[in-house]
Amino acid sequence: MSDKPSSGNSKVLKILPYLSLLTVLAVWELIVDTGLVPNTLLATPAQVLKLFIYKLNHADPDGAVLIVHVLTSVGEALTGYILALLIGIPLGLLMGWFVVAEGLVRPIFEMIRPIPPVAWIPLAIFWFGIGLTGKAFIIWASGIVPCVINSFVGVRMTNPVYIRMARTYGASDWEIFRKICIPSALPMVFGGLQVALAASWTALVAAELIAADAGLGFLITMGRRLLMPDMIVLGMIMVGLTGVAIGIIIDRVEKRLVAGMRR
Amino acid sequence: MSENGKRKVKVSVNGLTKKFGDLLVLDDISFTVAEGELLCIVGPTGCGKTTFLNLLSRLIPPTRGNIMIDGEEADPKKHNISFVFQEPSCMPWRTVKENIAYGMEVKKVPRDELESRLKKIMDLVGLSDSADLYPNQISSSMEQRVAIARAFAVNPDLLLMDEPYGQLDVKLRYYLEDELVRIWRELKSTVIFVTHNIEEAVYLAERILVLSNKPTTVKAEVPVGLPRPRDFRDPEFVEIRKRVTDLIKWW
Repeated sequence: MSDKPSSGNSKVLKILPYLSLLTVLAVWELIVDTGLVPNTLLATPAQVLKLFIYKLNHADPDGAVLIVHVLTSVGEALTGYILALLIGIPLGLLMGWFVVAEGLVRPIFEMIRPIPPVAWIPLAIFWFGIGLTGKAFIIWASGIVPCVINSFVGVRMTNPVYIRMARTYGASDWEIFRKICIPSALPMVFGGLQVALAASWTALVAAELIAADAGLGFLITMGRRLLMPDMIVLGMIMVGLTGVAIGIIIDRVEKRLVAGMRR
Repeated sequence: MSENGKRKVKVSVNGLTKKFGDLLVLDDISFTVAEGELLCIVGPTGCGKTTFLNLLSRLIPPTRGNIMIDGEEADPKKHNISFVFQEPSCMPWRTVKENIAYGMEVKKVPRDELESRLKKIMDLVGLSDSADLYPNQISSSMEQRVAIARAFAVNPDLLLMDEPYGQLDVKLRYYLEDELVRIWRELKSTVIFVTHNIEEAVYLAERILVLSNKPTTVKAEVPVGLPRPRDFRDPEFVEIRKRVTDLIKWW
């Protein structure tokens, strides 16, 4: 007996995802080919694939080859994301344990938190222009929120028995923070990394749609300006694929770091 | 306390009083514990046992009175105080071995001393084979033994146990009570064992303190001079158990 939702032939189950994907692509191709949806509004999968291959080594018509767009976006995303982790996680952890840190930071944090990161874009353009710095700032602003919240909650959720136990042995506040609260918060912190990644990536594409001269969001914007639906769809697909790839890498890192912490 | 005259006083509690606002919870409790004594404390439910233990371990400050260890005011940073909680207290991110070592790490026991004590205590509680397992891979009774091993490993001046076997089934409890007596005799630690199980108290204790209802005071002191291993059906055992039960029933 298995605890999986339902039993079935495992070979059939393996084929099913490909089958559904193929069906979607076929239907998509057909509705454009038969003229049900005009080709000016939607590109066919075949056209997107053709453009994909073309863009691998052609900079025109948008000014850069595909890999440059991907790397630009990834570079901006990682810069902002890593800065968000480096500042957000320690900040959240400290706020969770030391009341002084919470008292100082929380009001500012709560004031800024409800502002959608995208709302910072105009200011970011004023301050930093349309280069990497401005976008890294947007990513940072959107990534830091889940980092702080998850680290904070992770520390707060530390089982009070561990803290009492440590205190009776005479552990100092700092020792308890380091040896009890941080390891106890780690699973929550890693949960926050994934949430922060999703938030960062979304904000990045939004920022590039408005202000950029390269990047996947820029590719989508150019597709609209040049009336090239195939370029829009290509940009969208690349955003999705790259996001998935980064997610998988983070997941790997997490697995390695918390290898010992089986729960 | 006449039979304690020969033994050195390790812990003395003097006029311990605790008020939460106007509510008097502990009222002027005084007693002493001899070095290496196994003292059980029993009392009716809700008599403030937890408050009492939290005061003894210095987790909360008393309103009045003090606790002296070796003639000095008790201080977790200076004295080795261990606490075995009723609820599981193994940290899930540490292996059995690392959990047992935790108290010694806080006490900054030198590495080789720590290793040798670790080995000794793990042999004593029979956890050597499970040293590298994580808490979610062992049973709850084993988790409690890890907590007990951790508590004994710091060579405590005072070991406080708050119904450590309260959540285990009877058979395991008997087994672990024997184990506790064995470790205690081997290491000669000073133990205060709080329980609401009178049979358990009579089985373990050299002396039993019976607490009253709130506001809590020491109502009576019952020495248990029975030889070990003790037998639950021994008429003398039954007699002492009855006496303690009556003390808790009638106030």
